[in-house]
Amino acid sequence: MTLGYVLRRILVSVPTVLLVVLMVFVAIHLVPGTVVDMMLGTQNYLTEEQIRQLYAQYGLDKPLIVQYFAWLKNTVSFNFGVSLRTGKPVLQLILDRLPVTLELAALSMVIALTLGIVFGVVSAVKRNSFVDDIIKVFSLIGISSPAFWIGSIFIVLFSGLFTEFNIFGYVPINRDPLKNLQSMFLPSLTLGLMICAQIVRVTRASMLDVLRQEYIKTAMAKGVSRTALIFKHALKNALIPVVTVSGIQLGYLIGGTIVIENLFALPGLGRLLLQAVNERDYPVVQSIVLFVAIMIVALNILIDFVYTLLDPRVELK
Amino acid sequence: MKRLLMAFVLFASVVLLASGKLTIAVDVEPVGLDPHLVTAFASHRILENVYDGLLRFGENLELLPNLAESYEIPDPYTIVFRIRQNVKFHDGTPLTVEDVIFSFKRILDPETKSPAAAFYQDVDSIEAVDERTVKFKLKKPMASAILPNFAGVNSSIISKKFFESGKNLQLETNGTGPFYLAEYVAGNYIVLKKNPYYFVQGQPVLDEIKFVFMPEELSRVAALKNRDVDMAKISEPLNVRQFSTDKYNVFKSATLSYYLIGINTTRKPFDDPRVRNALNYAINRDAIVKTVAFGEGVVTGPMHPSIKAWALPPEEFEEYKYNPTKAKELLAQAGYPNGFEFSIVTSARYNFDKVAQVIQAQLAQIGVKVNIELVEWGIFIKRWRESDFDAFISMNSGSMEPDIQFYRHFKTGGSTNVFKFSNPRVDELLELGRSTVDTEKRKQIYSELQRLLVKESPVIFLYCANQFFVADKSVEGFKLLPNESLIFLRETYKK
Repeated sequence: MTLGYVLRRILVSVPTVLLVVLMVFVAIHLVPGTVVDMMLGTQNYLTEEQIRQLYAQYGLDKPLIVQYFAWLKNTVSFNFGVSLRTGKPVLQLILDRLPVTLELAALSMVIALTLGIVFGVVSAVKRNSFVDDIIKVFSLIGISSPAFWIGSIFIVLFSGLFTEFNIFGYVPINRDPLKNLQSMFLPSLTLGLMICAQIVRVTRASMLDVLRQEYIKTAMAKGVSRTALIFKHALKNALIPVVTVSGIQLGYLIGGTIVIENLFALPGLGRLLLQAVNERDYPVVQSIVLFVAIMIVALNILIDFVYTLLDPRVELK
Repeated sequence: MKRLLMAFVLFASVVLLASGKLTIAVDVEPVGLDPHLVTAFASHRILENVYDGLLRFGENLELLPNLAESYEIPDPYTIVFRIRQNVKFHDGTPLTVEDVIFSFKRILDPETKSPAAAFYQDVDSIEAVDERTVKFKLKKPMASAILPNFAGVNSSIISKKFFESGKNLQLETNGTGPFYLAEYVAGNYIVLKKNPYYFVQGQPVLDEIKFVFMPEELSRVAALKNRDVDMAKISEPLNVRQFSTDKYNVFKSATLSYYLIGINTTRKPFDDPRVRNALNYAINRDAIVKTVAFGEGVVTGPMHPSIKAWALPPEEFEEYKYNPTKAKELLAQAGYPNGFEFSIVTSARYNFDKVAQVIQAQLAQIGVKVNIELVEWGIFIKRWRESDFDAFISMNSGSMEPDIQFYRHFKTGGSTNVFKFSNPRVDELLELGRSTVDTEKRKQIYSELQRLLVKESPVIFLYCANQFFVADKSVEGFKLLPNESLIFLRETYKK
């Protein structure tokens, strides 16, 4: 039954993904300026004839709808084309950059969930105390500050205080795991703190809600220890909204990585996307959006599973 | 939290300052590696260290022999290059006259779609005179005007054998330059290593240069302070001031690139030269340099004032002296005593938007209302190409050769004459300038042209900003060229 559910979800997701990609395809082509314009800039020396040839070479002289279906047809057969700007295969570009973004996203989520849940629980348990106030202020700052700003502060702070700390100079994890972690630390902390702020709020509210339930009072009356009460009885039930929020935040994370990868000079997918949009490198933009759309859909399915693990009453049909 | 930080600090390594290896943070990554195809400056500054041209630029942008050990111009239609012996490509194969001829034939081949083809469109024939000599015959008598092109990255000499073996030059390189491309990790860095075959004795000094791509200026500043890099390109003068000269070497030079207001000379009221000229008088160029560039720049006329051989100094132009009264007079003469309203299209790059704001305030003084249209760079380029503007603010790369500086911009129907400017005398002077060999006569021609351009004002020339590279104190021997080239990396070393 679960397998059937997954297959159904995947089938339903296909039109969603296609719609997203179509929208992005139309959007990027609607923006004035083509890849040829970007290549020539304001210093171009080419004749009209040469420019026409360039358009023909990139297939940009064909109607938009023809371009879309040509791209779709190739993509279905796993041919993602080549980058118009660099001439490299798009799939290779994406696969080169994907690990950086996945690592950044994973580390950020680990930081966000760890800090978010711990602070959220503490805040709820110590309700209206000084600690609660501090955590509330902290999460308010986190929610209202842009990632770019927090990241900039970290950079200035760390480059001044810890000159031995390797802020820049990304090293792949398979080459030197320690240096890799070092170069990933500040970017993931920045993103992690952003997301953490939301998780703190939800965890706190949800914990307070659960702690008011009758069964908690019963457990308390039975003499269950405070630690067991919080972590065993309350937290597990309080986590369902947290999972939902985390899922939504994962979507935001993709946007966040664009900003953070640029700021910290990380060679990830987000930076590639920004560069590709700036240069109107259509195949790269379309393929990255496709990848991201698929990833988000997959994460949503995964999150539904986590629900069932947390609450046996939730059933996947 | 604190412990975690300490742990990271402990594990941090500080071996970056190993001698012979220089790490440079730059803002933009190359978009391709084929020297005959790429137009992006980000590619050029890497490729100029990997490839050589027949000529190169010296410290004062004088033309020096490079792969050609000498050259002569027997008549205005002919250039003869004598090719240096014992030059090898990075793969060890020797450079021959055939490689030289092949490179230029490739540039001129319409199939290649090289932007450099336009430089050489008046080349009639290229032939080998003997094993070491190549002769260029021109259709027009413009040998002097064409010469600086031979020093550009787009005129690099490539290996015929390498290309014919089916290599994709956008992805692989094989030049004769001081460094070879050892590693390219897209989005991250490029490593250039010393070319053991390089034909200049004792160069390059460095064993390795690593270009790290950091789009954000804040990151480059921090990386330099943190010693993650030895040297960084810094764009904002205010950021440069953060680096004390006790600890850092600041390399600074005015650029040939100039900020300009481009005007659509076919749109009302700008079809009247008096209106365009009025803007000249109404704009306080010194104030723009002070407020936008924090004083780090020079006011420029049609040619950069440092190119003494050709440039008329900006002070010589009456129009460039701030004089709002005169501006109002001119407007009244043209029938706009109460001013008018127009739009300036610009983008947020290189402080264009800030220049626009200062100009908006200055023109308000003479009753001219400016609407700023701030658009994304791609949109800007499209509108620029289609002359879809009343006026725009942007930057043009300058040249020390007046023909290259002026011809394509101001010739009627010129390839970058987006101003739709047309003036018979200007056209005449442009043709005369490129076909005259006598330097004195050329100087007279281009002086007249400069005066005419200021008076007719299809473009309001504003200023040239300073460029900066800040480096650790140990970095020496580096020089910045006004054309923003990093060719002096071959002489750079670390103490």
